[in-house]
Amino acid sequence: MKILIADDDPISRRLLEKTLQRAGYDVVAVQNGMAAAEQLCKQDGPRLALLDWEMPELDGPAVCREVRKKKDLGYVYMILLTSKGLKTDIVTGLGSGADDYLTKPFDSGELKARLRTGQRILHLEGRLVEARENMRFKATHDSLTSLFNRGVIVELLGREISRSRRERVPTAILLCDVDNFKPINDSHGHLVGDEVLQEAARRLLLSVRSYDYVGRYGGEEFLIILNNCDPASAPRRAEEIRRSLSDNPVQTSVGPLLVTMSMGVHQTANWGVRTVEELLHQVDSAMYAAKAAGRNRISFTKPENSPLADDVTTTEAEQSVR
Amino acid sequence: MSVATPSVLNVTELLSRVDNDRELVSELFFIFKSVFPSHLQRLSDAVLKQQPKQVEAESHTLKGMLLNLSAARAAAIASELENLGRENKITGMSEALTEFQSEVETLLLQMESVESHQ
Repeated sequence: MKILIADDDPISRRLLEKTLQRAGYDVVAVQNGMAAAEQLCKQDGPRLALLDWEMPELDGPAVCREVRKKKDLGYVYMILLTSKGLKTDIVTGLGSGADDYLTKPFDSGELKARLRTGQRILHLEGRLVEARENMRFKATHDSLTSLFNRGVIVELLGREISRSRRERVPTAILLCDVDNFKPINDSHGHLVGDEVLQEAARRLLLSVRSYDYVGRYGGEEFLIILNNCDPASAPRRAEEIRRSLSDNPVQTSVGPLLVTMSMGVHQTANWGVRTVEELLHQVDSAMYAAKAAGRNRISFTKPENSPLADDVTTTEAEQSVR
Repeated sequence: MSVATPSVLNVTELLSRVDNDRELVSELFFIFKSVFPSHLQRLSDAVLKQQPKQVEAESHTLKGMLLNLSAARAAAIASELENLGRENKITGMSEALTEFQSEVETLLLQMESVESHQ
């Protein structure tokens, strides 16, 4: 484990360095408080530190305060090393954000034991962060496809529309529905249906840019938000996405299956006062129009679908790509 | 040449602190001999110029080094100088400095003796 030693006394620094290297630590040694704070405030900096109290530029307690100010850092376990032994000093040191203190000259056995305590705390923190991240992922992602779940993708849509409205940049909404999904489930079973959905999700993700959003909207429905999507390129991009599924069969446990999807698309920078629900209703209608027209195709929203048609008439028209 | 008493430099304690690494002991002695003269010079200047804050700071640094080397007697005098500086007491500083210099001379001899037996 990486550990930082900050001490302006070269004897103490060398002694610590050697003791800790022997104990298996990866040691980073610095001579002053400024360098210590800089190291500890790095995202990949050491998470365990031994700080001398008295140091030039920034003393040990000041380093602790600097590190504790950084809220986006993982926890840093800091031990103050001091030849001060007064209770008031100890209270000051711990009050600055230090986790522990050791008086000089240190006993190597005690030092190692206290560092093990620090490692236990850091390990525990790591597990808590991991658990929190897992919970956050589960709360925001679909368990089958690992795409954003419905709640999140709809929320993202609301945010993107607000941004598009504010910045007057076009955004495209794509609602994709896997064609004939029920027959796949009925013929091959739900496990194969799940494999199809997982592969469809993977291909959709691969077919968009890193800053676009893809979410599972419903059973076999996926919602895609293409940010800053040039109006002229929207049909081409929708077509590429559609073809990402239809061009190659999906490999399943029962063999390759030809799978297609129908897509409703709504694209504009001029959103008027329509709500997210109204927009989703429009794009849903377009998607059903694609289904009705024979599936495996794209349908753009009709101006007349909109309650405020003047918002959409200039930029949108139904377009069957296939 | 005076022979230093064991309490000037507690070699057993020092070896225990470095996990019996005699090479490291030599390295620490070398570091001390390299940096000590400039610290002593600054301490002497501060005592001469009656600058208690500087006396406190330099004595504190020297005390830390000496404690790490298990040189308890010299560390104790450095601590005394540190306290005098902290309390702004000019009286007694020169005497303490003389005692400190004498103690460190003994310590340096003890260090040489230890190294020659390694």
